[in-house]
Amino acid sequence: MASVDLLQTLGNKYSAEILEATDEPRSAQELSDELEIPIATCYRRIDELTEHNLLELHDNILSDDRRRIKVYRRNVDAIQVEFDEELTLDVEERSEVTNKLDEAWRTLSES
Amino acid sequence: MIELMKTGIDGLDDILNGGIVKNSTTLISGNPGAGKSLLGLQYIYNGVELFDEKGIYLTFEENESDLADAAASIGFENWDEYVDNGDIKVYDKQVLLRENDFSSALEILLDDLDDDQYERLVLDSLTMFQLFFENEREKRTYLLKFTDILRENDLTTLMTNEQGTVFPETDIGLENFLTDGNIFLLQTPTDSGVNRYVWVAKMRKQNIDTDIFPMEISQGGIKVHQNASAFSMMTEEESPI
Repeated sequence: MASVDLLQTLGNKYSAEILEATDEPRSAQELSDELEIPIATCYRRIDELTEHNLLELHDNILSDDRRRIKVYRRNVDAIQVEFDEELTLDVEERSEVTNKLDEAWRTLSES
Repeated sequence: MIELMKTGIDGLDDILNGGIVKNSTTLISGNPGAGKSLLGLQYIYNGVELFDEKGIYLTFEENESDLADAAASIGFENWDEYVDNGDIKVYDKQVLLRENDFSSALEILLDDLDDDQYERLVLDSLTMFQLFFENEREKRTYLLKFTDILRENDLTTLMTNEQGTVFPETDIGLENFLTDGNIFLLQTPTDSGVNRYVWVAKMRKQNIDTDIFPMEISQGGIKVHQNASAFSMMTEEESPI
């Protein structure tokens, strides 16, 4: 069941913290450092969250030593769980307005 | 050398020492009825009429026809023509709030900004724009991002801002710190009507006259009078902004 799957992913250690921290785009390394998550676990959680569309690959930014770094941003603002009748998850995605402004703002630095 | 953009408003460019800094964002604050929207309208209209600079007018407050009526009644005779031929692009509240979703209008707007053909922009009002954001932090973040986007697209912007009485010692919204310039429009009731004043409180990168000047609204729009009013209340050093 998709809802249970999603809940499971959310419930994994560090998942909530990663979503909380990715209000602004963050790299796996940054998340690992800030939240003290072992790097391998961090990558695994990012993959799971991305798979469930809770997190998205936001950009490939260029690091100081000119390597490409993937940064991730949370895709949701809130998730509501209902147990009545059938288990349902209501995922509230981030506002389109903020997404569009973020997108436009991000492309400024590229041009 | 700082490039300036003239508002074309009688007297205002003088107290601004020539005009508004190009590609900056200036907040126009005041009570309802203080003349904020009119100042924006005049700024956009003058751009085309006097300086051959195209403008975008975004309003959450009015319909395109209300705007045309307002322009006609104040004497901006060619407003309709400029809107028709595209020199002035109006996004009215119907367009901006279509399907109750500002994001589709925002998409078109961002495309227009990319076009490079517009030089002036008015947002009426910032107060309404900020309703699309959920908390104070978001409001600040996206105001900054939006002003960045406008600057990078070479737009010189005025944003109106609903504000209660604005005399020193009262609350000053954070918006005032995030924008490049602040102009307050003040009005005090009198026996015969209202006295109106304009106070340029801040202009980044610019020497300005921070006295309070009387202004009037009449046929032809806003006029600012040069004789500084008797109650010039603060010097630049004392300004809280």
